[in-house]
Amino acid sequence: MIDVVNLCKDYTLKRKEPGLKGAFKGLVNPGIEKIHAVADLSFHIDAGEIVGFIGPNGAGKSTTIKMMSGILTPSSGSVLINGADITKHRKEVVRNIGVVFGQRTQLNWDLRLGESFELLKHIYQIDQKDYDRTIDELDSILGIKEIINQPVRQMSLGQRVKGDLVASMLHSPKVLFLDEPTIGLDVSSKYALRKFIKEINKLRQTTVILTTHDLGDIQELCERLIIINHGVMMEDGNLSEIVDRIAPYKTLVVEFYDEKAPEANFCEMIEHSGNIAKYKFMKKDTTAADIIADLSKRQTIKDVSIEEAGIDDIIKIAYGH
Amino acid sequence: MKKAFKELGHYLDVTIQVIKMAFLTIVEYPANIAGWMISNPIQFIVGFATIKFVVESFGEINGWNYGQLAFLYGLSVMSHALSMIFFVQGWFMGYFVLEGDFDRYLTRPMSVLYQFFFTNINIFGITDLIPGILVFVYGCIKCAVQVTPFFVLQVLVMLIGATLIRGGIYIFLGSTSFYTKSTTDFGMYTQEIMDKTTLYPISMYPESLQFILTYLIPIGWVSFYPVSSLLGIENSVLNGMVVPFVTLLVGLLVITLSGLFFKAGLKKYESAGN
Ligand SMILES: Nc1ncnc2c1ncn2[C@@H]1O[C@H](COP(=O)(O)OP(=O)(O)OP(=O)(O)O)[C@@H](O)[C@H]1O
Ligand SMILES: [Mg+2]
Repeated sequence: MIDVVNLCKDYTLKRKEPGLKGAFKGLVNPGIEKIHAVADLSFHIDAGEIVGFIGPNGAGKSTTIKMMSGILTPSSGSVLINGADITKHRKEVVRNIGVVFGQRTQLNWDLRLGESFELLKHIYQIDQKDYDRTIDELDSILGIKEIINQPVRQMSLGQRVKGDLVASMLHSPKVLFLDEPTIGLDVSSKYALRKFIKEINKLRQTTVILTTHDLGDIQELCERLIIINHGVMMEDGNLSEIVDRIAPYKTLVVEFYDEKAPEANFCEMIEHSGNIAKYKFMKKDTTAADIIADLSKRQTIKDVSIEEAGIDDIIKIAYGH
Repeated sequence: MKKAFKELGHYLDVTIQVIKMAFLTIVEYPANIAGWMISNPIQFIVGFATIKFVVESFGEINGWNYGQLAFLYGLSVMSHALSMIFFVQGWFMGYFVLEGDFDRYLTRPMSVLYQFFFTNINIFGITDLIPGILVFVYGCIKCAVQVTPFFVLQVLVMLIGATLIRGGIYIFLGSTSFYTKSTTDFGMYTQEIMDKTTLYPISMYPESLQFILTYLIPIGWVSFYPVSSLLGIENSVLNGMVVPFVTLLVGLLVITLSGLFFKAGLKKYESAGN
């Protein structure tokens, strides 16, 4: 469905030095600096996948999404959608994609939402019948009809994002790119948006590529994760496999009846305060049950709980903190 | 061939939709258009009154009498108005480049330049069209021109050509922002230069400037040459019935070249970070 091949993007940056001297210097020799925002990314995405595309601020996620959606011309490398190069055949290929940026709207501020939709209907040459059906379907998921006569300028962030989502789906694209769609949304809007993504993926087999800093989004939606940093691929794989590989441990939290906490086999006590102690163990070495059995021979246990390494630990490690 | 027609149909359909929507905004904000109706024409009527004053004091400008000047002035204002309707967005291209506002056009299956201009049609530009038409009709009467179908065709063709030349120049100037990564408000300056070189005969300027305005920045073809031809006033470059059609040709050339310049610039487009 999507092939990203050795994709690179450099931005040119005019370096401005402060002061008069700097201004003069810039006049004589405009210091042009290159930022390697994306460096040699390659990956393949199958039809129907929901892929979480994550990385810290400035990692190059938005830059990659913009190249995949025809906005930026790659410095080198290519993006193929259904086998066609989006840089060379932009007008044809973009018929298959929808794009939403959470941070900025693709809609016209001055128009009512419905007018923007109407214009898009003509731009994408959508049949009235298909158009009505799509609007009805999206309305049943997102409840769009109540804001359709409102100018975009007067919308709340949540309403605007909903509008952008519907606009991006009007032409029933096979691929949907979402760059931080949940940013700034309240809990219920976020929930609605996740439901929307799941539904269109299930009902229409839409392929979704999603960037987010919200771990909840990833846990709820993504089976596959691509992690980048400094424009370079760090991880690409199944979410649970990555978790198992990067964080192959669990932590057992034990509460005893007094402050003495014993050691146990195949695990390490990483914290001990008051009656509570934490034991970290590798999943391959032992099980929580064995450790509990071991500990209870030496001390009386009051309570236990297990902490799994979460997605946030994964990201911390993968980002290299 | 069939594909080309289909594509043309697509663009026509969107254009009709866009114009429909533009007229709806007039219906929706009648106060706006009323304001423009008053302020814009006043500007041009005052300009025209100035000519009248000059001509009355000196008899004529460079061999052009009052009626002929009105004819020239009117046609120039008309093509100015048309360029304000369809191409004024070019003045703001730099902001679109720097603020990443081309993103939305790039993700849609039509020409970026087409979307940039036509989804931002400035319907209020028609308020400039009215004084243009009035002064032009006045000039026609003063010069006692014979309004034949061929004359009408010539006028329409030269208006299209002149509008394309103006639009092409805006596109060219706006596109420099892709290369410089900065924006200049060239709109007002350009307007001033255009006014000075299209509202009056360029034969009143030094020859070197006339050369530039004929061959380098082809503003002379916006009004001076085609109007000379329509009125039968001789000039040293090109005479005859064909001149209005040459204006159209020049227009097509200018808009094609600046379109290519834009396209090359768009490859350098960097959107905007957040
Ligand atoms: N239009 C631009 N011009 C110049 N540099 C840019 C531009 N857009 C992004 N950059 C730079 O490129 C790098 C990657 O930016 P990008 O926006 O792709 O990161 P990101 O992963 O989306 O980050 P975030 O999580 O903050 O959105 C950063 O160093 C950024 O400063
Ligand atoms: Mg980003």
